[in-house]
Amino acid sequence: MPAESGKRFKPSKYVPVSAAAIFLVGATTLFFAFTCPGLSLYVSPAVPIYNAIMFLFVLANFSMATFMDPGIFPRAEEDEDKEDDFRAPLYKTVEIKGIQVRMKWCATCRFYRPPRCSHCSVCDNCVEEFDHHCPWVNNCIGRRNYRYFFLFLLSLTAHIMGVFGFGLLYVLYHIEELSGVRTAVTMAVMCVAGLFFIPVAGLTGFHVVLVARGRTTNEQVTGKFRGGVNPFTNGCCNNVSRVLCSSPAPRYLGRPKKEKTIVIRPPFLRPEVSDGQITVKIMDNGIQGELRRTKSKGSLEITESQSADAEPPPPPKPDLSRYTGLRTHLGLATNEDSSLLGKDSPPTPTMYKYRPGYSSSSTSAAMPHSSSAKLSRGDSLKEPTSIAESSRHPSYRSEPSLEPESFRSPTFGKSFHFDPLSSGSRSSSLKSAQGTGFELGQLQSIRSEGTTSTSYKSLANQTRNGSLSYDSLLTPSDSPDFESVQAGPEPDPPLGYTSPFLSARLAQQREAERHPRLVPTGPTHREPSPVRYDNLSRHIVASLQEREKLLRQSPPLPGREEEPGLGDSGIQSTPGSGHAPRTSSSSDDSKRSPLGKTPLGRPAAPRFGKPDGLRGRGVGSPEPGPTASYLGRSMSYSSQKAQPVVSETEEVALQPLLTPKDEVQLKTAYSKSNGQPKSLGSASPGPGQPSLSSPTRGGVKKVSGVGGTTYEISV
Amino acid sequence: MWKSQVHNLQELRRSASLATKVFIQRDYSDGTICQFQTKFPPELDSRIERQLFEETVKTLNGFYAEAEKIGGSSYLEGCLACATAYFIFLCMETHYEKVLKKISRYIQEQNEKIFAPRGLLLTDPVERGMRVIEISIYEDRCSSGSSSSGSSSGSGSSSGGGGGAGAR
Repeated sequence: MPAESGKRFKPSKYVPVSAAAIFLVGATTLFFAFTCPGLSLYVSPAVPIYNAIMFLFVLANFSMATFMDPGIFPRAEEDEDKEDDFRAPLYKTVEIKGIQVRMKWCATCRFYRPPRCSHCSVCDNCVEEFDHHCPWVNNCIGRRNYRYFFLFLLSLTAHIMGVFGFGLLYVLYHIEELSGVRTAVTMAVMCVAGLFFIPVAGLTGFHVVLVARGRTTNEQVTGKFRGGVNPFTNGCCNNVSRVLCSSPAPRYLGRPKKEKTIVIRPPFLRPEVSDGQITVKIMDNGIQGELRRTKSKGSLEITESQSADAEPPPPPKPDLSRYTGLRTHLGLATNEDSSLLGKDSPPTPTMYKYRPGYSSSSTSAAMPHSSSAKLSRGDSLKEPTSIAESSRHPSYRSEPSLEPESFRSPTFGKSFHFDPLSSGSRSSSLKSAQGTGFELGQLQSIRSEGTTSTSYKSLANQTRNGSLSYDSLLTPSDSPDFESVQAGPEPDPPLGYTSPFLSARLAQQREAERHPRLVPTGPTHREPSPVRYDNLSRHIVASLQEREKLLRQSPPLPGREEEPGLGDSGIQSTPGSGHAPRTSSSSDDSKRSPLGKTPLGRPAAPRFGKPDGLRGRGVGSPEPGPTASYLGRSMSYSSQKAQPVVSETEEVALQPLLTPKDEVQLKTAYSKSNGQPKSLGSASPGPGQPSLSSPTRGGVKKVSGVGGTTYEISV
Repeated sequence: MWKSQVHNLQELRRSASLATKVFIQRDYSDGTICQFQTKFPPELDSRIERQLFEETVKTLNGFYAEAEKIGGSSYLEGCLACATAYFIFLCMETHYEKVLKKISRYIQEQNEKIFAPRGLLLTDPVERGMRVIEISIYEDRCSSGSSSSGSSSGSGSSSGGGGGAGAR
């Protein structure tokens, strides 16, 4: 016997099949030899012919069931499994006809087992539509040979019945000479037949029921669909026809290897992309790409690079530098030290804030809309209380891929929101920051999602390809996340708007977006997302607008353009206490979606019941101004999977971001001339400008922005 | 001769290297029938038009649906096989295999016409057990950007494991 060979010769496993073969062939041969000649005389010559045909049928099916490949999956190659084995979530859920089905990771074969696939320990292979491992044929019964196995059972039952019946007939004919050789042999054959008939018929009946119900033995025995619905059934008739009448499935192993005759030689064609698309890509990828760049600089944007799992570095564009700067800043503030925030004064923190929202869209297709929206929400939150947030919820700071990051972490069974996010983001960002391919990121996210799904099994619906719908998953966690996020800024001094540039930039964006740009209602392939995510984007805008307003009201800012509401919202979101906005924002959530382009004042009114409360929440406060909503919408679009359609939208929204700060500042100066503090609940549209109603402040609150800037906000 | 040598050198320089692979997963929403997701992977965003990609995947899905179709022809094939004690399989190709050959030809044609000029390569899913469509993305080695991206992705993946392990 070969030593330490995976495939040892085990004689024991051949015993059942040998016994079965011996009994089958032996008994039938005896029948033909001893019984049939007499029967052909007494009854009819058709008897042996019938029995011969039946026996041939049994043998053919027996041979096919024994020797045919049941549908063994070849082992996955190395490059298909980019995720480290130990980091892969064990399960991935997929929805089949509305029913959640779990796909388990097969460590041996290194892929997620397709539905109905199972790994046979005897054969050490994953088998497609695994039924069972039959010792009598010494083979797995799977998709390819189930039909032959079933027919073998049917024909064997019929054959046994025939042999028994005709043997009995013969014996009855020779009842007076029971001691005769032929009669004795016939009786012996009858005994064997009778003995085997009971289990074989039982098994046949069992499989008839299985075929009619469209189940496999494995599913029946493990009780997978006990009391539930079987997603793999198409009705009795269709199930039967599928088993018996479908074309035999192909074998996966041992296929003739095709020669690669294709020559791939540059130069390569590239698809036409508009500038906007490229810009958007930068934004989407920019986060990732810049993350990588910043990572290379040793920055701490690890979490942000989470989304970088997949995308290749975007084509270099001059605007990138801006993003890079922002990114760096954001990254620094994200995870590690809140103090980092103070160190950097991002040239355009406003843009930076938005970018996560946009970048969320850039996430790999794997990123569910909701998750990216969540991230953008987190990012917007980050603005006012970046430090606090960074220390507390670093995950939110990270890019859209934050969600998957959390999944990537194997620890996220416990808490969906923060802990896993932070831990996950770090570990995942490490990986992503290294510039692994998108697939890696996707895989990471998918794997991690799978893990998360184990804790949220009923909620998450995941596919390996990342077409994740986090909606259900995020629903329970949404509010807590939201709340926790809101709670974050409470104790901390407002941070985030380091500079007037923030609001200025926002204003600039707003300005640009105010120009008629057709914003599609949504990319067709946009995943359904909870309403609140869209609103969050708007809120981010709104909060930023508010902040701008606040800044305007505080020491006069030269040439600051005021994008009404945006700055104010931004400003006010800084000092906002967590509590107030939380409640208000949550209540506002419902209002957000319908608000659309309603003036900020209206929706703002109920929220601003508390001074700056809503503002503080920035995210939570629905401040849909026309531009804000536009921006928000574009941001929400961006939070979807990066798609060219979305990209275009984003590009539209993002373009203004690219304008120089100076312009923004100038515009700010001109725009919001209504320096009066917005009264609480009053819709105060800026003169000639759509204004995001800023939460009014009765008194004056000092808000210290990042970088030490202090703004006085009249509450 | 010197010129031809230079020319050869230039030819050598313009070569493509495998940068990464994208895997199009199966779409199980309709059960275990063989169909692949038509969702456009972001990695291909800059490499191929969405339209072309989706068309390719949809055509493949159509082929697989045709292969798995249960109709008169497949039933007759089964009967014939039964009647000949499955010896017919030694001589004849099954319907599924015929369609697989068609698919293989189609993929070859798509590679030649559409994917290879864009630096992509489709792999027949049957080689992967029909679990994924593997799309290999090639980078132009002579361009510095792509080479760096290729190398960074390579180093990233290698260090990613270390980083991931470290993070754990």
